[in-house]
Amino acid sequence: MTFAKWAVWPALVGIATLAAVLPAKAQEPKGTLVFAVDSLAAQTLDPILEQRPGNAVYQAAMYDSLVGFDIEKGGIGPGVAESWQMSDDGLAWTFKLRAGQKWHNGDPLTAHDVKFSLERTMSPKSQAAAAASMRRSIKSIEVIDDLTVRVNTNGTQIGLPAALSRAVAPEGSIMPKAYIEKVGDEEFRKKPIGSGPWKFVRNVPGDRIEFEAVNYDHWRGRPKFKYLQILLVPEEATRIAMARTGEVGIAAITPETIDGATRGGLEIVTVPGTAQPVFQFWGTWRPEAKDSPIAKKRVRQALSLAIDRKQIIQHVMGGKAAMPRPFSTFSFTDSLSVDRWKAWADENFRYDPELAKKILAEEGYPNGFELKFANTALPGTQFMVAVGTAMVDMWTKIGVKVTVKHYEWGAFAPLVRGEQPTLTGWASMYRTVGRPDAPWRYNAAFSPDSNERLLGDTKNCNEDCKKFVELYKAVINERDPKKRTELNDAMVEHVANQWMSIPTIEGMGYYAVNTKKVGQFTAIPGRHELGDVFERVPHPEQKPWNK
Amino acid sequence: MGRFIVRRLLQGLILLFLVAGVVFILGRLTGNPADLMLPEDATAEDRVRLIAQLGLDGPLHTQFLKFIGNALTGDLGTSIRMRQPAVEVFFSRLPNTLAIIPWAILFAMTIGIPLGVAAALNRGNAIDRAAGTVAVLGIAMPSFWLGIILIFVFSVELGWLPSGRMGGPEHYVLPVITLGTFLTAGFMRLTRSSMLDVMESEFVKLARIKGLSERTVIWKHCLRNAMIPLLTLWGVFVGNLITGAIVTETVFAWPGIGRLTYEAVIYRDFPLLQAVIILKSILILGINLLVDILYAFVDPRIRLS
Repeated sequence: MTFAKWAVWPALVGIATLAAVLPAKAQEPKGTLVFAVDSLAAQTLDPILEQRPGNAVYQAAMYDSLVGFDIEKGGIGPGVAESWQMSDDGLAWTFKLRAGQKWHNGDPLTAHDVKFSLERTMSPKSQAAAAASMRRSIKSIEVIDDLTVRVNTNGTQIGLPAALSRAVAPEGSIMPKAYIEKVGDEEFRKKPIGSGPWKFVRNVPGDRIEFEAVNYDHWRGRPKFKYLQILLVPEEATRIAMARTGEVGIAAITPETIDGATRGGLEIVTVPGTAQPVFQFWGTWRPEAKDSPIAKKRVRQALSLAIDRKQIIQHVMGGKAAMPRPFSTFSFTDSLSVDRWKAWADENFRYDPELAKKILAEEGYPNGFELKFANTALPGTQFMVAVGTAMVDMWTKIGVKVTVKHYEWGAFAPLVRGEQPTLTGWASMYRTVGRPDAPWRYNAAFSPDSNERLLGDTKNCNEDCKKFVELYKAVINERDPKKRTELNDAMVEHVANQWMSIPTIEGMGYYAVNTKKVGQFTAIPGRHELGDVFERVPHPEQKPWNK
Repeated sequence: MGRFIVRRLLQGLILLFLVAGVVFILGRLTGNPADLMLPEDATAEDRVRLIAQLGLDGPLHTQFLKFIGNALTGDLGTSIRMRQPAVEVFFSRLPNTLAIIPWAILFAMTIGIPLGVAAALNRGNAIDRAAGTVAVLGIAMPSFWLGIILIFVFSVELGWLPSGRMGGPEHYVLPVITLGTFLTAGFMRLTRSSMLDVMESEFVKLARIKGLSERTVIWKHCLRNAMIPLLTLWGVFVGNLITGAIVTETVFAWPGIGRLTYEAVIYRDFPLLQAVIILKSILILGINLLVDILYAFVDPRIRLS
């Protein structure tokens, strides 16, 4: 063998070794993904201290949820549990966990952690938003084996998996039993560990939260970035400036600034199906409101026909919103004929001011009437006020004389509770978010014992109200998927025909992206925040995710 | 002097009590944090339970007396939002605000005092009018607008400075200019008027008659005496900066007590809001007391009266 031949072998081995190593190296997380938001809410990494969706953006990075997302179309999908099934008697749900999950300290994640987490979330010390409803719906939790947990419920709870899914709120966050029991609550809050693809590094109050990618493959995906920083930057103009200068890769923005951000060279990522700003009518069933024009269904329908939703989408939302479906229904709504309702909405939410005027005349208001309207916006969707203002202008064009009162949300929310004396006979802005389970939100808005009780209360429940109660109860107790869809459709139809809480548009979450810092990605439909998206965000030179 | 300090301290305590009462009542008039925390399906019972959990149940006067009782022991409550002692939260953010204030004052004095002197020396002419324009602009320009314009020019367009957040020295430049610009106008106007008063004094005429150079007369004799009213202004300005940095801190994402106040209001975090206002009041009272004492030392007429 010649020298040349001897020399070739080591070279070939070297090349082969490099070929084996290089792809792996290329996938190693690198760099820092910097994300700027307007609020970090309570800025706590303990899931039981406030589990409003605002927290999910940073809690979701490091915690996994019992039930997760259907990442492609929104709605619920596998999470810590890869499957779940209701018992034959409808009084329990059994969750099968995926094998091989572990905590950031290396301990295995088991059914004991799930039981511990749900019980901790329901405990008296918990401030979780859904703690109260979980206490009502969950009777007990049993560990069957390390990968199986059984949740016994009070009555049939069709919506339990959704309620424990990230698609709704982070109530299903799974926490490390052994670690918390060992170090205690206070230490856990200072040095939390989770099971998500990002591990906690630092929490600087009022400024930022930092995470580091885990160094193993995670079922949610291995992060492309080595570090994740979530910055609190309250001023929107500053967030956009920081995105333009590259100080941040992604900045949360509002529809008002989409044009400016686009002109500044930023790409806009929108999240479909996150919310519907609605307008609704309060206490129309009360005796004192019986002579009010808005006590008549057709008058309420006329007010909907007077709204040019496409104009609102174009001019208020910068073209980055969609026509809504009926109240609290989205493309990912569970057990619903979503295509049917898309067609229904296109027809019934059309702009037809002439028909609106005709209906008003037929109902005895040829010259319009006086309407009191409370304009407000929930935190995170300030554009609701602009939508409300545009609607008022459109109502004026059909002769309705609108008296507008603006409320900050903190002042408006208490008006909904109790006997609603201030709101009775009024219309107002309101909102419903992108939950996959319609009945939950329908119950909150229309049941006689709910806060909003838009169709009547327990003492004044008319035929429409009784019909709703009947349909709602049938839906939540129906276990057969086909029959449940039929009943859900019937409930949605019944409510849609009441014209009591009327969607204006389907709003979205908006993000300005510096494409020199961050590659192409899409968000998960229905989730306003990007908590479960960060691990999939690529570098600019990497393959786009989900594009 | 001792009586003077004791009197001031007693006045401060009464003022603190009044501040605590006003903040306690006004905060509760704006709504209940439970309404912001509860989900749509929460029942009336859920609300009652949460309100009790937050310690916001019971009659207002009982809550107030309990609050005052705890406050006397140094316990100003626990932040509803952060679940940490409100005093602890306040003092964790205070250094961030204090880190920027001396630089803003230094900036304002460096620009405002020479400008005021120049305006006084050139009373009525172009320099005076130009300085007056600067003063008007400084007072009239809203700090949120100035801050955003500075970010746009120096961060986005020129790329010289970061847009915000705490960090190295370069992070301080734009917030300091934004915060200091308003003060610059104040320092300039007061220096000018004080200088004009002092320049008419008999001792200044005497200094000139003695043949001292104009430079010595102006910078040594006039300015030194004109600085006495500025001392009072300095105390007021520091107080204004402590309480009024909300906008600057918000625009520049600066995690100080200004933004903490804003967050406490937005989230109806009553214990935190009360603590922040009371602790800010204590700081301002302390600074004013210090200024009064210094003033009394500088000007014997105050001390003797």
